[in-house]
Amino acid sequence: MMPAIYLEAIVLTLGVLLVLMEAFSNSEEKTPVAWLGIVGLTFVFILTFFTANDLSASPYSAFYHADFRAIFFKRFALLTTIVVLVLSIEYRGVVQKYVFGSRPQAGLGEFYALPVFTCAGLMWMASAVDFIMIFVSLELVTISFYILVAYMRRNAGSLEAGVKYLILSALSTGFFVYGITWIYGVTGQTSLEKIGAILLGLKVSHGPLLFGFMLVLTGLGFKIACAPFQIWVPDVYQGAPTPVTAFLSVGSKAAGFIVLMRVAEVFLPVPWINHKAVTILVALAALSLLYGNLAAMPQHNLKRLMAYSSIAHAGYILIAVACIGSRYANIAVSFYLAGYLLMTLLTFLVMAAVANQAGGDDIVHFNGLGKRSPYLAFAMLAAMASLAGIPLTVGFFGKFLIFYVAYEKGQFLLMGIGVLTVAAGFYYYFKVVRAMYWKEPADDTPVRTSPLTGATIAALAFCIFFLGVYPAPVIRALEGPPSDNPRLLAR
Amino acid sequence: MDESSLPWIILLAPLVSVAVIVFLTQGSRTISAGVSILAVLVSFVASCLVFHAPDPAGVNQITWLDFPALHVPIGVTIDQLSKTMLIVVTGIGALIHIYSAGYMKGDDGESRYFAGLSLFMFSMLGIVLANNFVMMFIFWELVGVSSYVLIGHWFFRDAPPAAANKAFITNRIGDFGFMLGILMLWLATKSVVFTEIEKSLGVSKFENLNLTAATLLIFCGTIGKSAQFPLHVWLPDAMEGPTPVSALIHAATMVAAGVYMLARVFFLVQASPDAQWVIAFIGTITSLMAASMAIQQNDIKRILAYSTLSQLGYMVMAIGMLSKEAAMFHLFTHAFFKALLFLGAGAVIYGMHHEQDIWKMGGLGKKMPLTCATFAVGTLALIGCPGFSGHFSKEMILAAALSGSKWTFAAALATAFLTSFYMVRLFVVVFLGEPKTDAAKHGHDAPPVMALPLVILAIPSFLAGYGFFISHFVPLHGTEAPGFVSLFAFLAFASGAVMAVLLYRGKKEDPIHIGLLANKYYFDEIYAALIRWTQELLARQCGRFDRWVLDGLVRLLSGGTYAAGFALRSFQVGNLQAYAFLFGAGIVAFLWYVVSK
Repeated sequence: MMPAIYLEAIVLTLGVLLVLMEAFSNSEEKTPVAWLGIVGLTFVFILTFFTANDLSASPYSAFYHADFRAIFFKRFALLTTIVVLVLSIEYRGVVQKYVFGSRPQAGLGEFYALPVFTCAGLMWMASAVDFIMIFVSLELVTISFYILVAYMRRNAGSLEAGVKYLILSALSTGFFVYGITWIYGVTGQTSLEKIGAILLGLKVSHGPLLFGFMLVLTGLGFKIACAPFQIWVPDVYQGAPTPVTAFLSVGSKAAGFIVLMRVAEVFLPVPWINHKAVTILVALAALSLLYGNLAAMPQHNLKRLMAYSSIAHAGYILIAVACIGSRYANIAVSFYLAGYLLMTLLTFLVMAAVANQAGGDDIVHFNGLGKRSPYLAFAMLAAMASLAGIPLTVGFFGKFLIFYVAYEKGQFLLMGIGVLTVAAGFYYYFKVVRAMYWKEPADDTPVRTSPLTGATIAALAFCIFFLGVYPAPVIRALEGPPSDNPRLLAR
Repeated sequence: MDESSLPWIILLAPLVSVAVIVFLTQGSRTISAGVSILAVLVSFVASCLVFHAPDPAGVNQITWLDFPALHVPIGVTIDQLSKTMLIVVTGIGALIHIYSAGYMKGDDGESRYFAGLSLFMFSMLGIVLANNFVMMFIFWELVGVSSYVLIGHWFFRDAPPAAANKAFITNRIGDFGFMLGILMLWLATKSVVFTEIEKSLGVSKFENLNLTAATLLIFCGTIGKSAQFPLHVWLPDAMEGPTPVSALIHAATMVAAGVYMLARVFFLVQASPDAQWVIAFIGTITSLMAASMAIQQNDIKRILAYSTLSQLGYMVMAIGMLSKEAAMFHLFTHAFFKALLFLGAGAVIYGMHHEQDIWKMGGLGKKMPLTCATFAVGTLALIGCPGFSGHFSKEMILAAALSGSKWTFAAALATAFLTSFYMVRLFVVVFLGEPKTDAAKHGHDAPPVMALPLVILAIPSFLAGYGFFISHFVPLHGTEAPGFVSLFAFLAFASGAVMAVLLYRGKKEDPIHIGLLANKYYFDEIYAALIRWTQELLARQCGRFDRWVLDGLVRLLSGGTYAAGFALRSFQVGNLQAYAFLFGAGIVAFLWYVVSK
């Protein structure tokens, strides 16, 4: 058993190694950099199963927790990054086209290396229990995203997206830090645990603390892309290179949610915060659900549609966040995110493969995919069905848990909005399915994918169905060891 | 290997076969057939091992769904009931798989056929092994799906797809009741596991549970799957499927699943006297009605199909009379001789180049001696000739009928008489006399791969009523039929057989015509009219309502939604300053709410 913090150290070393490899290698071929990244991250993923999740022993436990939930999200970050690297290899042609260079593949090496640094940031964030630690890891993630979003520097769309993301993200970070300073000013602490202890001692409403908490909430709201802090999402998602979009929509969102959960678990139990904070969270969830689902309906571009869908999914997860205190809230959030990872990455993989050949990622480019490449079309069908939440896919159990938690906490308004917007979701997700199976293809040539991409697609699709039929393994992993879990002890 | 993993091997081997055929070997018919046969043999061997092992003590299950108030395991039940059923399903299944390799040779869809057959084995074994209602319901539906696929195997002809639809939809009607029954029991007892429900029903009376209604709703599942009156109409049509399918699914195993399920939840039947009465009544009606319809059919497979209906009615009636042993005993013997009869019919059809009308056969006894001999064994077993397996089980059924009232006994006797009559008629017309067509003159025995299962099945068809089989497979607890039951049974058998021989020997066409029976009491016509005047009328009205009222509302709503989406999109102006402003405005709004009182 090794300490969990080694994992991040290894990932970071791997990142440095990749950059060095790209800088000092004479080879024009940069794909080995990505391969090494994939292999290295897979190795770290295996290591996570041999990691001690012991809380007390480490000297840095004041700001770094390696509980089972942190380990779960570290695996989550690793898996996401691995798939993003696969996606980057598939997408390299487009990046190459829009990057200057003396040699054909110049600049691709960094494109493969940067996600590894982001991954390290995400993994730290999963364990962070101190505001300073949270902030530092958040910035490690965000700064590498600044570069990645604007990576295709000869492409106006990518540049525009980069600038928008930079400025709006900086703005939100500003609010986030400002909120932290207010909280620190009142409590004199940055550690979540100690802040929690002080908060429970305060019996009457404390304006400045509330103010600080709300500012932190807005900063996190930006990361998870919920309304009304979602305004950047469609433009940035559409402009960024597809692998980066996938990374943003999965990795960045998940990291935002784990921090949100950790912060909310400290603040929400306090009665005078709870009342207002839950109202705010309910409002955020409702707005995101309505905005994301309604605005997605008229979209014709799949990437943009996925942007709105990402807002909508943030809304569903926020339902569970608003229900913190229910025994299943945590599990619901994490399980939903796990399912979201599978279906979103699968969508982006298929999208990249199709866009490579068809030259665009509008829904019309998917016309007749069912005839051209039945396996790809079926994988996409699995992803869309799961995003819509159809039984036998993982998306169904995600929504089931969310609605169950809402039911337990009596959040009937959110349940109602949630159910109605799921219906709206069917409409726009099945626009893609209709295009694939009911429209005639523009040309009949099958879409070619590399074996690696094909295998990844198959694996993701399999997981969607497997967890859709048998979700118990993930739920059990999320429940953690029995000692952490009052429900299991009660049996 | 651990013994507790054996049931899982039984269950999963056919599923693996489905996956292999669908994903890998679709191109090669021979390999697909081989994979499927291998899988069923693995299941059969594992079943034999399970059969010999003592009953396991603990609960063998994994948790599938675990939510508060809904705890669904996937687990297996191993007891005398399921052990016997495992042997029947995998044993007959294996023989029919082998037979199919000959029967389906050269069919373009052979790979698809064997994938379907393996899927059926998986689903059927799931029903047999299930230890809870949810699991049983899932496999129940899967059996429906695989039956649909196999009935409609020749989907390019007209009749099979229609028959497949009819079977599936009719079954769904019954299954809806089944599901409601499961939900009722779950709501009351908070459990779906058979043993837990049984225990909690024994401990306390549930105020909120109408046990009779729940039992009858669950019985609806049997009505559909075992083709009982009034949902019996799908089974004769299902004969459009390939003959081995008819033998395996629509005679020996799947249709018996309804009876098996009732035996599995026998504690429910025992606890509700009103339900017993209904079950016995439905069974009696079905057996008598189906037997009477069979005497006027001319299609060799349809005659056997009505006979299956009638025998299933016997079993259901026995369950209603609380004689689970008689029902299971008859299920056991019937599975062998009915599979044998169907495979024999298949050999006849095969040798006659797909001719199924018995009046175009005749004299086949000389051309197909082996088929004729084995068919004779099956026939004698079915009509309860003393010494054959069917005789023993039928006697038990008649004894069970006697325990009800003299009317049920009379109906059961009449059914036995009719059974004897139509089966001897079939045998006389097909195998004796002069050939009536050229095809019949040139008939020939089936190839060895098809003949072998016939011979093997003939053995248990003859012997399944004797000591060894009874003591191992269907332990009977000292239920001895009174002597006069045997006498009546023999009279019914003998008079039916003699009458049929006298009437049909040497005849070129049917000497009697009873329109009512030939047209199956006009059930199909009545249902068609019923549907036209109820469902379709309602559907038309709903259609009008939908078009003029709902559609308008929906259009209004979707138009509004769409417009709202469009309006929301207009926030997305693409201007960075505007974005930053909106972002700031959002924060201000939130802070205002928080800081204000």
